Amino acid sequence: MRHVIIGSSAAGISAAREIRRLREDAEIIMISRDGHVHSRCMLHKYISHERDVKGLDFTEDNFFETQRVEYIQNEVISVQEKEKCVVLRTGEEIPYDRLLIASGAQSFIPPVGDLRTAPNVCGMRDLSDAQTIDRMAESADNILVIGAGLVGMDAAYGLLQRGKRVTVLEMSHRILPVQLDAHSAEVYQREFESRGAIFYLGRRLEKTICGVGGQICRVVLDTGENIDCDMIIVAAGVRPAIDFLDNSGVEAGRGVLVDAGLQTNVKDIYAAGDVIGHSAIWPNAVKQGIVAARNMCGMSEKYTDTFNEKNMMNFFGIVTLYLGQICTRRDEVVMTEEDRNVYRRISIRDGKVTGILLQGDISNAGVWQYLIKNQIDISNIKENVFQISYADFFSVKADGEYRWNYQRQAAE
Amino acid sequence: MRRIMIDYEKCDGCKNCSIACMQAHREDEGTIYDLNLTDPRNESRNQILRVKDGTYRPLFCRHCKEPECVMTCMSGALRKDPETGLVTYDETRCAACFMCVMHCPYGTIKPSHSLQKVIKCDFCAEDGYEPNCVKSCPKKAIHVEEVEA
Repeated sequence: MRHVIIGSSAAGISAAREIRRLREDAEIIMISRDGHVHSRCMLHKYISHERDVKGLDFTEDNFFETQRVEYIQNEVISVQEKEKCVVLRTGEEIPYDRLLIASGAQSFIPPVGDLRTAPNVCGMRDLSDAQTIDRMAESADNILVIGAGLVGMDAAYGLLQRGKRVTVLEMSHRILPVQLDAHSAEVYQREFESRGAIFYLGRRLEKTICGVGGQICRVVLDTGENIDCDMIIVAAGVRPAIDFLDNSGVEAGRGVLVDAGLQTNVKDIYAAGDVIGHSAIWPNAVKQGIVAARNMCGMSEKYTDTFNEKNMMNFFGIVTLYLGQICTRRDEVVMTEEDRNVYRRISIRDGKVTGILLQGDISNAGVWQYLIKNQIDISNIKENVFQISYADFFSVKADGEYRWNYQRQAAE
Repeated sequence: MRRIMIDYEKCDGCKNCSIACMQAHREDEGTIYDLNLTDPRNESRNQILRVKDGTYRPLFCRHCKEPECVMTCMSGALRKDPETGLVTYDETRCAACFMCVMHCPYGTIKPSHSLQKVIKCDFCAEDGYEPNCVKSCPKKAIHVEEVEA
């Protein structure tokens, strides 16, 4: 049986590995535009020159040889559902028995001014983007980053480390608006500012002004302020990469539509990772790849770990984790705790944790994710809720693995 | 695979296992008598915690069958070794993103004090895969056993 996988990032690679684990004799073909397998979560370390191309590779050495995966560096331009094949940019047709679409997403460049056409504007999505940024930054000193989400802050980090003058423009009134609360976001803003970053918050890009060679040399904001720049990085979100599915019969909305087993509306075609548009979180893409792979091999498994309100960041030695949501509704109890190592903030409703933020020491954080994800009652376990640990839910299976025991907890 | 099995009822909370772990992974040379217990670089990979009724729960990395830490690792630093079944960690690959810390449901992996890497059980690979915690337990509350995984 031939499995064809489009994409070589988190979902694609984990699917290939799982198919190989389950089917010794399967043929696996991976098609990707990327010249090198790379983890996009580390691109900022490429820009900062902390890692080279090899340092971004998240697969083991000789992955393709040992897992016997044929790698085709090319672009898929269409999927022929009836003929059961994909068509490459070069015109070649690759037949499949099972197809996994793990093509990921692409940077969204807003149609403002000349952002979409100017040669000194770049997204930061994959290695080729990071290489372009790296090259352009050689001769650029004033760099504007549009968007202060994780990708924008990653870009700002990498460029500050290179000694560049970095300005960050963000529509929201604070940085990392989706990932953090106001308090913890401010800690990062101050840290970035102390390293030279300038922030324009609560403002919108209105106009671009081009200079030599059509390069944007100045932008005008809705407040009338001007920012001069030599180069622009747009980090205004991503859109699932689904253009090649037009006329393929595979249904897509914002992303490819899939059932609980990650199969599309077309039999034998599956999708996993950012292309389904559920979340852009590495671990979720990996798990989707595994579930899709199992189903492609004839198993019947559902993708259940859909929790995606989880954020973790580590800039300049400041580590922050934010799980769930701390919304301070009237029926929510919010507790905080602070010492020199950590700031903790938790919100609880009806005995269940709705959100937690840890800045500093994040040990034990996975326990909180489990508690939130599974809506486990934590009433009357510890006087200080922050001291709750897995020990309070401890149970060992016959094979020595742990299991969460919270039924008894609820009954007590 | 070989796994450290836990009989928590036998644990009397002496923390010999934690000290043995710190000693086994210390960076400098020396005996347990000169191990600096207050140096934050000397960290134990295991934890003994006391629960409400006054009994103890040993928390040791399970080297899970489907390890959350491995599935969430975006650098390839954490892997499930198909031969030994152990979850191995290559700190030279680690990008200190701590996604693994956010996902281990048992809290058995944590950032190092330096925040440059993570602290996780390596089954005392350097000592021939004979965990020092097990050797040091006076109550036989932990022992190594071959299990299906």
